[in-house]
Amino acid sequence: MAQGLLRLCRVSRFYGERAVLRNIELVLAPGQALLVVGPNGAGKSTLLRLLAGLLPPSEGEITTELAPGEIGYLGHKTLIYPKLTARANLAFWQAMFGLPRDDAPIEAVLARVGLSRFADEEAGVFSRGMSQRLSLARVFLTGPRLLLLDEPASGLDPASAAMLRREIRAAADAGAAVAWVSHNVAADLAVCDRVVLLRGCRVAYDGPARDFDPSGLAGECVC
Amino acid sequence: MLGAALAVARKDLKLALSGAQGLVQTVLLGLLLIFIMSLSREPGEMSPPLAAAAIFWLATAFGQILVFNFLYGLEEAEGARLGLLLSPAPTQSVWLGKAVAGWVLLFCCQLVFAPAAVAFLGQSVAGSVGLGLLVVAAVDWGLCALGSLLGALSVGRSSRESLLTVILFPLLVPALLAGIRLLETVISGRGLEAVGAWTGTVVAFDAVFTAAALILFPFLYTGEE
Repeated sequence: MAQGLLRLCRVSRFYGERAVLRNIELVLAPGQALLVVGPNGAGKSTLLRLLAGLLPPSEGEITTELAPGEIGYLGHKTLIYPKLTARANLAFWQAMFGLPRDDAPIEAVLARVGLSRFADEEAGVFSRGMSQRLSLARVFLTGPRLLLLDEPASGLDPASAAMLRREIRAAADAGAAVAWVSHNVAADLAVCDRVVLLRGCRVAYDGPARDFDPSGLAGECVC
Repeated sequence: MLGAALAVARKDLKLALSGAQGLVQTVLLGLLLIFIMSLSREPGEMSPPLAAAAIFWLATAFGQILVFNFLYGLEEAEGARLGLLLSPAPTQSVWLGKAVAGWVLLFCCQLVFAPAAVAFLGQSVAGSVGLGLLVVAAVDWGLCALGSLLGALSVGRSSRESLLTVILFPLLVPALLAGIRLLETVISGRGLEAVGAWTGTVVAFDAVFTAAALILFPFLYTGEE
């Protein structure tokens, strides 16, 4: 099996008696943009949390060459503090990641996600889309080698979603591995290198994006 | 670890003190307890120093529950706990940051409880105020080390207030008893040498739960929901 930043070997995950993922084999390579698709309940979010190390596998093994702090994760929640300003949120994460206290990178990522004008406003007053953009700024700020994004376009307007796709492609081109979950398969296929389709708790497809047929996506999740 | 812990403590204190979130409830609950307890004495009568010290620490113990529920609740609103876990800082820096923030907040509350206890419970403090503050700060560290450790247990649970109370109070007994005896000694103006064993209890409690938290915290504060 190819070397990669992170490798899942026969990984399964159960919640109580219920299997969410079974015997997953996956390698994340640097510079690769991986799109994870599948019906609701197929285990996409669980897969991302396993990749992030936030959940231990029930069976199997996960090996990684990543050091602590080299994973950028965006989940269903935005991971921001609503009572802090956008700038204070980013300054906090800068400190937690051991980065030097410097306003320039904060200004740069805020500009990158189009939030410069709102830097000193409390994040709690942001719309869902603005919160999502702030969360993306948090991910970009730390320069991760692996980006794990769970439905990152959720709440974004079409222009912001297009910006997100450009950023995903740029991160992969810069050498990072990117894995993201999306239901907007048609649009995201254009920027990904590889697709993993989860169905029935297993990998139903793992291959190049150009060979993936999105018309077969409709299906039930039965484990 | 210290830099990350300070960042957590600074952020928590900023959030707690802006709009006095988390503090107002704690102060009000403590004052209410002290006032209700004061009704048990006749007007003009002085409560025994031991009773006054016990009421002060009772108010502190209930306040501690609110403080740590507030502090750990900050990460739950938008899932920031996951971000903390993914940072390169050791997980223990979250425990230390929250313990320090809780220590400062609890001490601020006690600065209100103490004069209220003196006034409502009719106390005259014969001992040194500085020594009293030192005793309170030393006992508080043990309470906060344990509160910050167990606060992580109740994260994300709907019954977290009751859960924290049930698991925290039995473990606090040695520190609270020591705090009561030491504070009573300060109020009555006797030297701490009269209660050397209780001083040792506080030091041991602080050391044991600081060490236990440094070992156990990563197992309690995880990405599982």
